[in-house]
Amino acid sequence: MSGRAPCVVSLRNLVKRFGATTAVDNVSLDVGEGEFLTFLGSSGSGKTTTLFIVAGFEDPTSGDVLVDGVSILDVPPHLRNIGMVFQRYTLFPHLSVFENVAFPLSVRRKPKAEIEAAVTDVLRLVRLETYADRRPNQLSGGQQQRVALARALVYRPRFLLMDEPLAALDKRLREEIQGEIRRIHQETGVTVLYVTHDQEEALRLSDRIAVFSHGRIEQIGTGSDLYNAPRSAFVGGFIGNSNFISCTVAEGGNDRCAIRMPSGQICAIRGSSPMATGQLVSLMIRPERIGLSTTASQAGPDCAIKVRICEATFLGESVSYKVTTEWGQSLAIREITGKSQDVPLNSGVDAYARWHSADTHIFAT
Amino acid sequence: MESAKAFRVPRRALWRAGAREASPAFLFLFLVFVVPLSSLLLRSVTDPVLGFGNYEHLLSDLTYGRVLLNTFMVATVVTIVTLLLGYPVAWLLVILPTRVSRWMLAIILLSMWTNLVARTYAWLVLFQRTGVINRMLMEIGLIDTPIPLIGNLAGVTIGMTYIMLPFIVFPLQSSLAAIDPAIMQVAAISGARPYQVFFRVLLPLSLNGICAGGLMVFVMALGYYITPALLGGTSTMMLAELIAVQVQSLLNWGLGSAAAFILLAVTLALYALYARGLGLGRIR
Ligand SMILES: Nc1ncnc2c1ncn2[C@@H]1O[C@H](COP(=O)(O)OP(=O)(O)OP(=O)(O)O)[C@@H](O)[C@H]1O
Ligand SMILES: [Mg+2]
Repeated sequence: MSGRAPCVVSLRNLVKRFGATTAVDNVSLDVGEGEFLTFLGSSGSGKTTTLFIVAGFEDPTSGDVLVDGVSILDVPPHLRNIGMVFQRYTLFPHLSVFENVAFPLSVRRKPKAEIEAAVTDVLRLVRLETYADRRPNQLSGGQQQRVALARALVYRPRFLLMDEPLAALDKRLREEIQGEIRRIHQETGVTVLYVTHDQEEALRLSDRIAVFSHGRIEQIGTGSDLYNAPRSAFVGGFIGNSNFISCTVAEGGNDRCAIRMPSGQICAIRGSSPMATGQLVSLMIRPERIGLSTTASQAGPDCAIKVRICEATFLGESVSYKVTTEWGQSLAIREITGKSQDVPLNSGVDAYARWHSADTHIFAT
Repeated sequence: MESAKAFRVPRRALWRAGAREASPAFLFLFLVFVVPLSSLLLRSVTDPVLGFGNYEHLLSDLTYGRVLLNTFMVATVVTIVTLLLGYPVAWLLVILPTRVSRWMLAIILLSMWTNLVARTYAWLVLFQRTGVINRMLMEIGLIDTPIPLIGNLAGVTIGMTYIMLPFIVFPLQSSLAAIDPAIMQVAAISGARPYQVFFRVLLPLSLNGICAGGLMVFVMALGYYITPALLGGTSTMMLAELIAVQVQSLLNWGLGSAAAFILLAVTLALYALYARGLGLGRIR
């Protein structure tokens, strides 16, 4: 984070209940100046509700929202000076692109010349300056969302809320506009709170990601933090691909412990937290951290299990394997082509899946 | 390609097929609408003598002019008042939880389904000099002597407003329900005060419903008969009453027909205006 820099937005123990369901469960976080922070989580995990509380469309059951250190809960939405882009297309259908973007300034009764200059500027920023006279229904979905972004930026709000703005677009367009959003974020330096359920999008855009699950933040950190040091099995499974193996602790310890694989085989692992003997744990290994070889005894990786290749798919830069362990579990392995010494292994072949114990993540279950 | 071609039925053929299916309806309309209407039109320009005498008479005579004025005034006031009263009701129907709004809808419908004459007589009872309304107003000391609510335009307007309310609520409700709430939220977060959200977003987006409902009420009010006949007086006669009197009592078919035709012409003109406005206003 940006060190001692003051926080633009701070959520303090935010809770929102709808009857019996708790949509937001004790969420606290700080967003720094110019930061791009993404809420990542599956459907119904409370991302929109959190954003709506910040926008002022919902009141929290308890907790507080601070902007520049001051609570804004008593400020109505139209005075909060926040920009917002929704998932659905929300351009005013009866206004042209220009009038849509001018709307926030016109309701603020800005002089005409100023409005005109600002709208032209921001339309140039989203590269739609030639579309000013069009009606919203004469625009593609991607263009509509860019106009919506322009409308949210034109009055230089304190920060920007974006609730899955690209969810309705197809993949190619989505990637294109992700690039635009990145560029606009860099050019304007605006602070952004972004919501998505697409981990790739989150990784591509964000400075930091808050992983939401059941209304809680499971973990918050940079993309590589979340990928390389997930704090829970949920985060490990949510960000990137992963293999989970249910094991028991054969011999506990503070920093090292011996893990009994389902096959009975023992592996020595360096654990992040103390493990008690007999505890049920789940091991997580990323597919690209596992190597395949036909022999067990080789220098390097210190964990090895016997597997049978089920499926080998050549993907150009890598080969993707699906293998079955002795206990019948299927694992995914991804080997960079050219790195491994042998030719791609064929399905039906027995081999050893090997990895470094340091690449193993251990989660209590 | 081939199948696409096979599906492209010539327009003429479609027309012909459709016309065959619809011909009973057309015939019915022809018999009960076009024929009598034509004969009425004919009568209006021929009845006592050939020419536009009936129309001249209607438009120049002060008494008839007054009836026309009454008619348009009542229709305009009723339309405006129902719009003002109906808009919030329609809005409530849209934003209230379904359970509550269903009850509201049921109440509105129930009043619509109650016999029109019965409802109008009910107003008669309420509006009398010794009726509930006058007695209540006197009780709370707002007035000393009963105010006349029957036999003048006030009673007619109140009675008609009440009857027309559902006809404005339903079109308004459907056009308000079609507006995405997120559009209002985006307006608010962009800095629009509540009244700005209303005048700049909600109102323009519900203009369709306002026009449709307003036109319906206005046109219905123009030709309304029962309420003005029961609650109004001779000085507040409206066009439909005039037609009835001319035809039933005075057997003056020519003048009655001419009056009916003026009504029809106004209605059609209004409809044309509305259709044109919609065509222009359509966001295409
Ligand atoms: N107005 C409401 N009334 C009742 N329950 C609600 C309401 N709004 C949200 N919820 C519930 O709160 C939970 C969180 O919803 P929310 O919309 O915040 O999820 P989300 O993370 O944005 O999901 P998505 O990715 O589908 O948009 C859900 O279980 C939802 O059903
Ligand atoms: Mg959502």
